[in-house]
Amino acid sequence: MAESRIFRLESEPHPGEAKRVYRRRTEFAPGTIEPERFELFETTRYSFVLNRRAFWRVAGAGILLTVCFPLHAQNQNAQEQTGGEARLPEEISSRFLFEESGEITGFTGKVELGQGSRTLLSQAIAEELFVPVARVKLVMGDTARVPDDGGTWASLTSPQTVPVVRAAAAFARGLFLAAAARTWSVKPADVRLLDGVLQGGAGQRMTLFDAAKIARENPPTSGVERAPVRPDEWKVLGQSVPPVRGREIVTGAAMYASDLRLPGMLFGAMVRGPHYKAKIERVRGADRLPASVQVVHDGDFLGVVAPDASTARAAAQTLGVVWDASVLVQEERLAEHFKETSRAPVFVKGARYPALIEKGDAYNGYFAAPRKLAATYTTAYVAHVPLETSSAIASWEGDRLTVHYGCQAPFLTMELLAKTFGIPEENVRVIASDTGSGFGGKQGGAVAVEAARLAREAGKPVKLCWTREDEFQANYFRPAALVEVRSGADVKGQIQAFDFHNYNSGASGLPIPYNFPNYYLGYHPANTPLRQGSYRALAAVANTFAREMHMEEWAAGMKEDSIAFRLRHIEDARLKEAILKGAERFGWGKGGSKPGMAQGMACTIEKDARLAFFVEVKAGGKDVNLLRALMVFDPGAVLNPDNLRNQITGNVIQATGPALYERIVWDDTHLRTRHLGQYRVPRFSDAPEIEVELIDRRGIPAAGAGESPNTVVAPAIAAAIRRATGIWLRDLPLLPALAKAIEAKPQGPARANQ
Amino acid sequence: MPIFTLNINGRVWELESSGQAPLLDVLRDAAQLTGTKYGCGEGLCGACTVLVAGKPVKSCLMAISEVGEQPVETIEGLATARGLHPLQEAFLSHAAFQCGYCTPGMIMASKALLADIPNPTAQQIEERLEGHICRCGTYPRIVEAVQTAARATRAESSGNGGPRRG
Repeated sequence: MAESRIFRLESEPHPGEAKRVYRRRTEFAPGTIEPERFELFETTRYSFVLNRRAFWRVAGAGILLTVCFPLHAQNQNAQEQTGGEARLPEEISSRFLFEESGEITGFTGKVELGQGSRTLLSQAIAEELFVPVARVKLVMGDTARVPDDGGTWASLTSPQTVPVVRAAAAFARGLFLAAAARTWSVKPADVRLLDGVLQGGAGQRMTLFDAAKIARENPPTSGVERAPVRPDEWKVLGQSVPPVRGREIVTGAAMYASDLRLPGMLFGAMVRGPHYKAKIERVRGADRLPASVQVVHDGDFLGVVAPDASTARAAAQTLGVVWDASVLVQEERLAEHFKETSRAPVFVKGARYPALIEKGDAYNGYFAAPRKLAATYTTAYVAHVPLETSSAIASWEGDRLTVHYGCQAPFLTMELLAKTFGIPEENVRVIASDTGSGFGGKQGGAVAVEAARLAREAGKPVKLCWTREDEFQANYFRPAALVEVRSGADVKGQIQAFDFHNYNSGASGLPIPYNFPNYYLGYHPANTPLRQGSYRALAAVANTFAREMHMEEWAAGMKEDSIAFRLRHIEDARLKEAILKGAERFGWGKGGSKPGMAQGMACTIEKDARLAFFVEVKAGGKDVNLLRALMVFDPGAVLNPDNLRNQITGNVIQATGPALYERIVWDDTHLRTRHLGQYRVPRFSDAPEIEVELIDRRGIPAAGAGESPNTVVAPAIAAAIRRATGIWLRDLPLLPALAKAIEAKPQGPARANQ
Repeated sequence: MPIFTLNINGRVWELESSGQAPLLDVLRDAAQLTGTKYGCGEGLCGACTVLVAGKPVKSCLMAISEVGEQPVETIEGLATARGLHPLQEAFLSHAAFQCGYCTPGMIMASKALLADIPNPTAQQIEERLEGHICRCGTYPRIVEAVQTAARATRAESSGNGGPRRG
């Protein structure tokens, strides 16, 4: 087992818990429970202080505190559509374990994919409990041990989880201060908390662990200070705290899902055949396999289990399969297919990403306008290519299933597994491992289901690490998009009506940062020939590309500067400031002196952050070099500047791939992109010089930042290419579109200003 | 089946194998040195890079029968009792990673690079590491980290009058 200690956190539901606070109350099989299990059956002690509730338990060698908040006050945006069904946790809770050693463990449903959530959440706990970050540990994404605070997606850790953890830890601090004050018969205000030790004016001292013991035995119910540390007084948050697992990473000691090992574990491999979608007609060659190999064939599921990875892979290739393949809708027909199969946008109240946003009358406004512009934009299917392929280890004990999985959404995977195998959710435990990146590609649970199916047959734990080919063949892609935009302006070029339709790729990024008086922004779901799902910023990439290119075409048509044209449509002061700061620092309008060199920019408000992005390119023939770039980023409060810079730079570099060359190619029944050699991703030489300017506003809650930089990269590059070459590109990726345009004939702005 | 003797990080391993198994599988599954990672299985991502006789090798493409007596060095063998290797220190101080999955391969390739070119330019680093993918996009930090490590190594060399061990 990767984890030698298993805390059992919950036993009987307490009568005071009217709502289900935790999703999980798992009984572990005998032998896996700690010796102190009997301690855990004692009654929960709890206290109510206004709308916060604290539950105390003894857990192992420590005292466990769970803080619960009624949902409505904390979180109105938890609904997330891209992760599957809409879900709204009934109540938000945070858990902390206080140990005699002075260590504090936080429990969170978030996972670490490289975005820095482990460090950020450690900072939040350290900030509020006045301890060094090094004394904080985190248990992440283990469905048996952590509260369900949603999957790791949509950049929600900073705006959603950090505030909850801060509030809970601040409340815990208040309880400790009150407990110490009561013990020493002083006022809570006369107790100080320094470096994890409570101190009284007369030299009294008490550790947090001792205070937790006292608070558990006799929970304070009054005099509890609840306010988190004011942002302008932050000592740990707002600082560039280095990644907490950095040392493990540079020494190779960091354990990812594919590195884990269970006693008696076997290795799995899947047989998928050459086709993208196919049914199995016949399987041959099982008799030629070594005796140590087991074949698992169940309908269209075909895999093997072997004592080691090489044997499993070889066996999977030995099997001969007759497939009945489905013919896929071809790329040339994709736009038509999306429109034929599309459904009208539907407004759903409370949706995080409404599929229909409307103001005034965009339809008639367009026809009435003296100046008009209509254009169509597309984006290709692209793959996440997480460097660590999807990996899981599944083991069964009777009808209880445990899966270690490098995933983004452990609770969704738990539900999926329960449903797939027809067992209660209580019987499934998903333990999220740190994983070698995800970018949205590890929200599904296909590899976990496959590992579990193999393990059930093998009767032993089975580890399944997808090959790179599996990752292309069996994972989902970022959806391809067709975006139709038409807009009308008055004679001065002030846009009056904006009619915007996304087919197939999604509703995120639909809202506009511009003050158009009439608009219709709609997402039309459609049928897709390829599997599609979440991706970093998802549809916001296509929607921002279409909208910003459209603005660019207007500006060009009006013979106006890109920034000047945008500014006269922007009211948001923060966005204006970001653009103007960026223009100044980048030297907007001063580049492009050499032939083929040009600048481009794009801006947006994404997930509450303000972004202005500038890029300088050199275009020559069918090739484009990115020379330098600047991102001005205003997320409100900056929680960890260095981590944020790292995220932004990395996201910009990653985004250049789908902007310029990444795309999935397929033919009648096959995916043609099945190996890394067939799918170019950005490498060292592709990265431009990137500057990042952060605008830190402590008074404004931190917006998520892990994915919004993705949205503005492609339109800025396309705008720069247009200035360098005179060619308008409306399809991502841009390089194939540029080659096609050069092979055809040069074109100007389409139907602009008729 | 034949018995192969491998010298990994100064320790000798004997294992029974057809010889066809890639070095990567042996490192990860038999020797349980999981710092070396699988990324693509076709030598295009660099995650599985180790040093064989001091040269960077894509261990997913090298069968153990090809290794012979040559010493194999993995990320786990880099730190000494004296502490982290200058490359490890530099990757740490620059936070030249996000998920960290590519880091062991990047560090091993950089070690071979610095042995050849003690004072590399940014362009030389990019050229030598072009076969390594960081999907999180930390390339600029990796270049800086390698240059920092190069400076530290040179300082150390001039300080004690000889090249660093290993």
